[in-house]
Amino acid sequence: MVDFFSQIINGLAIGNVYALLAIGFALVFGVANLINFAQGSLFMLGGYLTFTGVSYLGLPLLPAALLGILLTTGIGVALDWACLRPIQRGPRIAPLLATLALAVIIDSTAELVWSPNTQGFPNPMADQAWTVGNAFISAVDLLILATGIVCIVSLTLFLKYTWTGRALRATAMDPEAAQQMGVNVAAMRTLTFGLAGLLGGIGGVLIGLYYQSIWPTMGIPFGLKGFTAALLGGISSIPGAIAGGLLLGIFESLTSGYLGSLYRNMVAYSLLLLVLFFRPQGLFGARGLDALGGAQAAAGMVPSTSLMASAFSPVTSRIYTLAGWPALAVLVLAVLYPFVADRTWEHIGTLAAIFSLLAVSLTVVAGSAGQISVGHAALFGVGAYTAALLGVACDLPIELLLVAAGTMGAIAAIACGVVAVRLSGHVIVMATLASGLILHSVFLSWIDVTRGPMGVRGIPPPSVGLLGGFSITDNAGHYWLSLAVLALALFLTGRLLQSNVGRTWRAIREDRLAAVAAGVPAVRYLLMAFAVSGFLAGAAGALYAHLLAFIAPGDFFILASFIVLTMVVLGGLGNLTGAVFGAVLLIVLTEVLREFGEFRMVAYGLVLLLAIMFRPNGLLGSK
Amino acid sequence: MPPTRPTVTDARLVVDRVSKRFGGVAAVDQLSVSVAPGELMAVVGPNGAGKSTLFQLINGVIRADNGTIRLNGHTLTGRAPEAIAALGVGRTFQTSRVFPALSVWDSVRVGQTVSLIGGTPSRRRFDPVTEIAAALLRPGGLKRRERALDEQAEATLKLFGDRLWPRRHDRADSLSYANRRRLEIARALVDRPSLLLLDEPTAGMNPTETNELADLIARLHAEHGEMSIILVEHKLDVVRNLASHVLVMDRGGRLAEGSPDDVLADPRVVEAYLGRRADGSAGAEQTT
Ligand SMILES: Nc1ncnc2c1ncn2[C@@H]1O[C@H](COP(=O)(O)OP(=O)(O)OP(=O)(O)O)[C@@H](O)[C@H]1O
Ligand SMILES: [Mg+2]
Repeated sequence: MVDFFSQIINGLAIGNVYALLAIGFALVFGVANLINFAQGSLFMLGGYLTFTGVSYLGLPLLPAALLGILLTTGIGVALDWACLRPIQRGPRIAPLLATLALAVIIDSTAELVWSPNTQGFPNPMADQAWTVGNAFISAVDLLILATGIVCIVSLTLFLKYTWTGRALRATAMDPEAAQQMGVNVAAMRTLTFGLAGLLGGIGGVLIGLYYQSIWPTMGIPFGLKGFTAALLGGISSIPGAIAGGLLLGIFESLTSGYLGSLYRNMVAYSLLLLVLFFRPQGLFGARGLDALGGAQAAAGMVPSTSLMASAFSPVTSRIYTLAGWPALAVLVLAVLYPFVADRTWEHIGTLAAIFSLLAVSLTVVAGSAGQISVGHAALFGVGAYTAALLGVACDLPIELLLVAAGTMGAIAAIACGVVAVRLSGHVIVMATLASGLILHSVFLSWIDVTRGPMGVRGIPPPSVGLLGGFSITDNAGHYWLSLAVLALALFLTGRLLQSNVGRTWRAIREDRLAAVAAGVPAVRYLLMAFAVSGFLAGAAGALYAHLLAFIAPGDFFILASFIVLTMVVLGGLGNLTGAVFGAVLLIVLTEVLREFGEFRMVAYGLVLLLAIMFRPNGLLGSK
Repeated sequence: MPPTRPTVTDARLVVDRVSKRFGGVAAVDQLSVSVAPGELMAVVGPNGAGKSTLFQLINGVIRADNGTIRLNGHTLTGRAPEAIAALGVGRTFQTSRVFPALSVWDSVRVGQTVSLIGGTPSRRRFDPVTEIAAALLRPGGLKRRERALDEQAEATLKLFGDRLWPRRHDRADSLSYANRRRLEIARALVDRPSLLLLDEPTAGMNPTETNELADLIARLHAEHGEMSIILVEHKLDVVRNLASHVLVMDRGGRLAEGSPDDVLADPRVVEAYLGRRADGSAGAEQTT
């Protein structure tokens, strides 16, 4: 029997950790005006550094934890100094992508250093618990509650009563005014990132104690929940963040108590989407996060909704594209490629074509329409599962499977898009991330259909209806099939981007407020962008499933989304030639660096980070 | 002689006891005003009087707390900005909002969305799927319609002499400040709105440019007899030359209303508004 009271205590304990993370988000959002994806990674580091202090240096838990938290604080400050400050004047998308890249770099470095496996976290209080009436209260719960309350109270007192705290709040409200009043805004920024690192580190230690284990990707779910808590509270308010954290903790604890812990994450992510959909300003907040930038934008405070624009100077670059005859010449060369490539390189060529298609799909929605999606691999997965399951169940030509997979991809994309199109800039990223995670957990847990973590095996080779049901079994055949689909997709997408539809997408990206004032139904056009993008991603998924003959949920996790995003940014957002170029480059690079396989994700993260810092418009220029 | 005020039935725009508060500030407070077809009304008033907020309320970027706004008999309050634009409201923004990375040509073509795909009050010509299919296949009917729109866009750009047309392939963010304002006006004008809202169109322009734009507005007013224009303007000589009717706002409400000569001589107006500009440099002040 689940006891209500113990669930509440438990929820309050976990909620305290969410509140700490949420405060980190809120502080950074207020002062630096960005959503810090690396917040979850700092949290993970807090846990791991403490673990290292205990297990490798033989320190007792308390000093190890203090050392770990201190280091995390320092890393938080260092990240800002080294990576975020230099791009402050760049396009508005730069800090967002940079923190995303940092998160990937930190998480995958942690996997390299401490192994991808879950590690036991020392907990001297593991067995101490009491029963009060029916309720079960553990020492860890009490410790978390106490630590959380001490942190929150001292932070609140600090912000409220010290000069520095007041200066920090002033900076968060209006950096320019604060600067004029003599506040050292740069120092406040450092302090903010330090505090965010500190709170993240403390949270990591507490969660380590709570679960008695830590794992390198733990930053993703906890980061997202911290963000959910911050959002519930209105994202820029500290009391709101605390209330949001506690509410989320209790809610989650009750659902996992009464429905089963399988649903814990799904419920939390769905709650995030619901809040984003119905009350993007949070339960308590009033600050406009809505897509038009609210009244603020109308009053001229937000000069452009384009993420590629900078608040400081126009961002322009030379744009390289291939079209017409040169494009046809490249296509001919690509068709001839299997005659010079061996079987391995034919396979790599096929992967490059499939990922090019996926990159084209992402560049439509993220580049042309300006809606950065980090849940894209899930749409790819929807297509792959559709084609795989249909292909296993009945004997259908690949053309039909491509259309079916594309259609399902489009439907899933519209479902994700419905939430995203009401939001602006950085918040869209969180919404698409949550949708991607929800779809991923559907792949994982809808075992009757997807066969869960086992994956779908024995997907038959594609049979081409146009060639009288010819069945493709060799690598060159797969390559030509993927190339044909890619070429067709490029031709059609290129035409679409040049039409009124593409122009309207770019207008919405550049200034959504001006676009709607000019009569553009922005939501309709954005959903069209999501649908087109989802269709292409779904088709790419179908090719992928039939190429590998085996798919599993792991193929469609966030990291895959991140890789595609890197390809697109590297090539130049909104530039079809760039998308293909970025995809081919990254796939070939992966192959060349095969021996360093484990470093792959770190390398992708670095590629993205460097691209943002030094060529935010990508190698071929964004359009 | 001031024109007789339109009654509620024959007015183009009727603003009826509309209010909007921002926290403690009543930006627009129980304001009522109406505009006749083909009328050019100027709205003046000190900084913070609520002039821009009135525009945001008319075009639906901000929702009114209470009161109603009607255009040609359609209720605007509660509709989305794109639906209001489709009903015939074109506007510019005080801090000019152009599409930075779009070319001048594309920016103006975006202003024709309603003509191309339809919308309130007519039905849409395309559902999303046919629109994508049409964009890919470009059937003859669509080509013809686009050609007509191209001509319309060209004519609109050429209204501005050689300011915009020769630069039609340039990015909007490469334009000068004055040209961005012109581009915004072109975008608002190109789909032939029945009500054009211009929020300080001459701000930041030198006297020559100001006169040129004032001449253009006068020409538009004369040529498009049916189009009503509301002009927010701090430069009072521009107001005197262009407007047949002036609304003076202060603290969200109506301070005075009437013909330019009467209103601008009203002692209350002089005190609330001109008093701060007694140095005579009417309109030299830049507002932000
Ligand atoms: N988005 C907003 N949030 C809060 N207050 C606002 C907002 N927009 C306008 N206000 C306030 O409403 C009042 C009216 O502002 P509005 O911009 O309409 O004035 P205005 O007459 O256009 O002035 P100006 O001549 O400076 O353009 C001002 O006090 C302003 O501070
Ligand atoms: Mg104004």
